[in-house]
Amino acid sequence: MIRTLYILFGFIVLGTLYTAEYRGWSLDTIEEVKNVPKSVRDNPGSYRSVYNTYHHYTGGK
Amino acid sequence: MSPDGPSPPGTPQVKSLNCPSCGAALVIRSFGQAVTVVCSHCHLILDAKDPNLKILQKFTASVYEDSPLIPLGTRGTIRGAAYDVIGFDRRTIHVEGVSYSWHEYVLFNPYKGFRYLTEYNGHWNDTTILRSLPTFYPNASPPALKYLGETYKQFQTAQAGTNFVLGEFPWQARVGESVEVCDYVSPPRLISSEKTGKEITWSMGEYMSGADVWKAFNLDGRPPEAVGVYENQPYPLSKAVTSIWIAFTAFLLIFFFLLMGFTMFAQNQLVYQGNYEFNSDGTGEASFIVGTFNLTGRTSDLQLETSTSLDNQWIYLNYALINQDTGQAYDVGREISYYYGYDSDGAWTEGSRRDTVAIPSVPSGTYYLRVEPESDPGLLTIFYSIALKRDVPQLWYFGIAFLALLIPPALITWRSINFEHLRWAESDYPPAYSGSDNSDEPEPGMPDQESQLFAGSNQAHKNTKSFDEDDTP
Repeated sequence: MIRTLYILFGFIVLGTLYTAEYRGWSLDTIEEVKNVPKSVRDNPGSYRSVYNTYHHYTGGK
Repeated sequence: MSPDGPSPPGTPQVKSLNCPSCGAALVIRSFGQAVTVVCSHCHLILDAKDPNLKILQKFTASVYEDSPLIPLGTRGTIRGAAYDVIGFDRRTIHVEGVSYSWHEYVLFNPYKGFRYLTEYNGHWNDTTILRSLPTFYPNASPPALKYLGETYKQFQTAQAGTNFVLGEFPWQARVGESVEVCDYVSPPRLISSEKTGKEITWSMGEYMSGADVWKAFNLDGRPPEAVGVYENQPYPLSKAVTSIWIAFTAFLLIFFFLLMGFTMFAQNQLVYQGNYEFNSDGTGEASFIVGTFNLTGRTSDLQLETSTSLDNQWIYLNYALINQDTGQAYDVGREISYYYGYDSDGAWTEGSRRDTVAIPSVPSGTYYLRVEPESDPGLLTIFYSIALKRDVPQLWYFGIAFLALLIPPALITWRSINFEHLRWAESDYPPAYSGSDNSDEPEPGMPDQESQLFAGSNQAHKNTKSFDEDDTP
């Protein structure tokens, strides 16, 4: 029973691994935005990134 | 003999007698086989071989002091044969001031003879008397027996005293009698020797679960819960350990096949690379556009690598990968900082000058990249380069998958080791014992050294009590 469950689990893991690599999944956080106006190409300052409000680290030890 | 005529095959003969002391009815189910019978009312131990039931001993006990979990007279099926429970006793050992008691049930079948069930803390053993002697290896560590090709490690030696008896026994049972008991284990079996003077009786037990005993005797209710790990209790997943590692090895082959395949056949294509500089004191719009560039092939990731010349500085880069045709954008903000210095602890560094981020599942198409750098005003000019690579294998997933595959077999193996640790912690050879891990097999060159323990045992075994299975009507 345990062996059968493990074999099933193993195939799920390897299947997920294959899909992740084949489809190019990533663990990084990315925001998707739809319908960005074509004018951004000529006027990049018109685009408002979702990360604009990020508070930057200005540290050092 | 039954008053209704001859008993059908397999039914023990039952004879009713009366206790010579209290007059209570005595039921003798193994007539002709029992050596002693105990009156359940007055606790007289009587000589069952004597027609007048000679009194052998009287002991003081309450009837309810220790009532058997399987009532006397209950019939059950063990290994395909019907057995009646005809006797019950309790034995106790004392180890380091602590008393440990177990129970023995005497079972009888008129054709098969006697066998025994032992019970300790919900752990059961089906026990029979050995027909031949095992070979003893006293120099093994721990000492071991070999019987029918199987090695049994010595587990515990103790002086066991009988302190409660009920029913019939195929030996001269006495309350207060004491024997030296030595157990050798090879789960799920164990071999026990019981030494009285020069007599040694050898028996073999095989572990049974309480549920199996209850089923065998068709008992009501539930058996008592097994407590702890018993000396010959098999690890419930012992068979699974090997098979799971075999499955793990097979998965590992597939894993490496995938790793090699994705490493060798991934595009890993550099689609753009450019060098830039950023002056935070500059005026005007900081954002700019990189590209366009074509991403080809199947939907896959796009790795964005940034290398900088940071020197006790930071830079924040807003990236937006935008599909020129569909307007689909992938926004990602990356903060890169690198600091270093020297203090009372010595030299230190913090952060990195490089950064990598993978944008997932980007379809093919024509894209451009919007870049918007930020940093503190007054910092020197920061130089940085951007590289975009298409279809790069993400090794993180291989690491996660490897761990996921490894955890179940590792966990089961750890539990198995822990189970053995708990088992041997109760033995004369606890895990700290230096020789406990090198003696799965007796040394090949070791002669069969039958110790003094065996010196008289052959004869003793032949003469022993009348425990033998050949004692059938």
